[in-house]
Amino acid sequence: MQAETQTMSCAGAAIQVRDLRVAYGGTPVLHGVSLDFAPGTFTALLGSSGCGKTTLLRSLCGFVPVTSGAILVGNRDVAPLPPEKRGMAMVFQSYALWPHMTVLQNMGYGLRLRGKPKAEIVAKVAALLAMLGLTGYEERKVTALSGGQRQRVALGRALAIDPGILLLDEPLSNLDAKIRMTMRHEIRAIQQRLGVTAIHVTHDREEAMTMADRLVIMQAGRVAQVGSPEEVYDRPASAFVANFMGAENVLPLHVERTGAGTAITAGGAVVHLTNRDAPAHPTGEAVAYFRDDVASLDAPDADPRGDLLVPGLIVARSYPGGLYRYRVEAAGRQITVDDATRHEPGVAVSLRIPTERLHIFPAAEAALAA
Amino acid sequence: MSLSQRQLALLLIAPGLALVAALFLYPLCFSLISAFTDPDGGFSLQAFAKAYELYSGDIFFTVVIVVTSCALTALVAVAIAGTLTLGENPWIVGTLRALYRWPLFIPFIVAAQCMRTFLAKNGLMNNTFVSLGLMEPLQAVSYLDWRGIIATFVWKQTPFVALLLAGALAALDRATLEAGRNLGASRLRVLIELALPQVLPTLLVALVLSFVTMLSVLSVPMMVAGSQPTMLTVDMAFRINAYGDYATANALGVITYLISAGAAILYLRHGMTKETAS
Repeated sequence: MQAETQTMSCAGAAIQVRDLRVAYGGTPVLHGVSLDFAPGTFTALLGSSGCGKTTLLRSLCGFVPVTSGAILVGNRDVAPLPPEKRGMAMVFQSYALWPHMTVLQNMGYGLRLRGKPKAEIVAKVAALLAMLGLTGYEERKVTALSGGQRQRVALGRALAIDPGILLLDEPLSNLDAKIRMTMRHEIRAIQQRLGVTAIHVTHDREEAMTMADRLVIMQAGRVAQVGSPEEVYDRPASAFVANFMGAENVLPLHVERTGAGTAITAGGAVVHLTNRDAPAHPTGEAVAYFRDDVASLDAPDADPRGDLLVPGLIVARSYPGGLYRYRVEAAGRQITVDDATRHEPGVAVSLRIPTERLHIFPAAEAALAA
Repeated sequence: MSLSQRQLALLLIAPGLALVAALFLYPLCFSLISAFTDPDGGFSLQAFAKAYELYSGDIFFTVVIVVTSCALTALVAVAIAGTLTLGENPWIVGTLRALYRWPLFIPFIVAAQCMRTFLAKNGLMNNTFVSLGLMEPLQAVSYLDWRGIIATFVWKQTPFVALLLAGALAALDRATLEAGRNLGASRLRVLIELALPQVLPTLLVALVLSFVTMLSVLSVPMMVAGSQPTMLTVDMAFRINAYGDYATANALGVITYLISAGAAILYLRHGMTKETAS
């Protein structure tokens, strides 16, 4: 298999997107997006519905006309070119296989368009099928394949033309959970083996984190943050990114500079931090975002030991497995907390929140994100 | 209870059934029997022999006219439906979409009359060419012959075929067409190699229906091309109106049935090979 794949080389191409603007019938959808995609990288475009991630992908491959801006592939602006002249291969959410053709005809179509001899097409498709674990499927009708097999054929069809750039438009959304997991690893492994530049659109956070080297979080037609999965997860650049990456608990705070450092007040609790611990928190009214697993429950009179200890009341309890999940009312908000010990609803507790795991943003910015 | 319900059901469909029997089945059987009966009342193929002797040329002419018209209709309809589906110029697509259906609402007899004034020797088309200086008046020829019939049929049936075809193309998963362009196919190749094969059954149904319609039109061959050779509908009308010769007219009718059955069989056979293949 290794020998077969060595005959395929899809040296990845670099893409530079410069101030890209797209509008649908006068309504702006992308407001000047600028991004760089290095050769051979796997980038995930992540965002909620309507954020413009699919529009960005479709404008890259030429299905959506660009209002202004440039798409540079190898220093050539491809924005004015029709889709067939851009040399980018796309894998579609609906597979988009041609039902009147066999697997061989589907996968060999791009090569046939390039005038390759039949023997070469057959050999290339056989090698790709071997790589995708579908050896001997050449003469099958695509309508006789399962969802996972169809998506493999669609991937093979895109890879057959040795594209420098592979565009993936939510290719795993139509698959069931188990096959989706397998396909994540397969697509990632194939991308790394071939060295192709991949851009993957998804609204599934975990999928983006596990597959990509780099995440691009999009919000309302703009890039909200670009970074490695760790950067985006641990150091979100905005309240929106923090919330989108799963820090769904919101705690209103007051941050004040004191002589020795910073004082953070929340729901009657105060914690004093030295300047080393609280490097650049915004001062004044602020909002902290944190994940369910960051806080824990403690006794109302427990020792803070440097953590923020907010008094609260347990409102509800559920057991999703492993840990108990509590809804706690604290500082006027409902906060979700996972904790190993069992408490009864109605009990007064305090929320222990390590301050270094809070994502703190000015209150005005948080209002915008909401 | 169930028996009385069955009787009630029969009673309910009886008027419709009677209507079909009286207005369709009876005349059909009558003309079939009449085609195979000699003047003395016995079985004979005499009417067919006469029909063949007098009108074999017209049978051939009819088949050629209808097949050619169907082929041209398919070509123009594919061009229109393809432009509507894959066209990128909104002005062209919008204009075409607004205009292409109009001939659907014009009866054959009116279409034939329009073509008479358009295609005649001193008709609108030749006059326009002359006034544009593209042609000398002496060069003008009349197109009111087989070419006129084909032009009328194609003009009248194209919207129908294009309507069905555009509907089927619009129902396709657009990603299958985008995938083709993404891999490097031009719009024409996408239409011919990827879109049309997916809607071929619809195109065939539309063409078979058009084939049968064209076979049964009397007004167009009568008005557009009066002279010999002509189509079988005109011959049938002539046998009945001029000679009261129902036997020969019915024999020509049976031949028309057989020609349309041929088209239907071609369609069914295609459907069956497709089913066994998939």
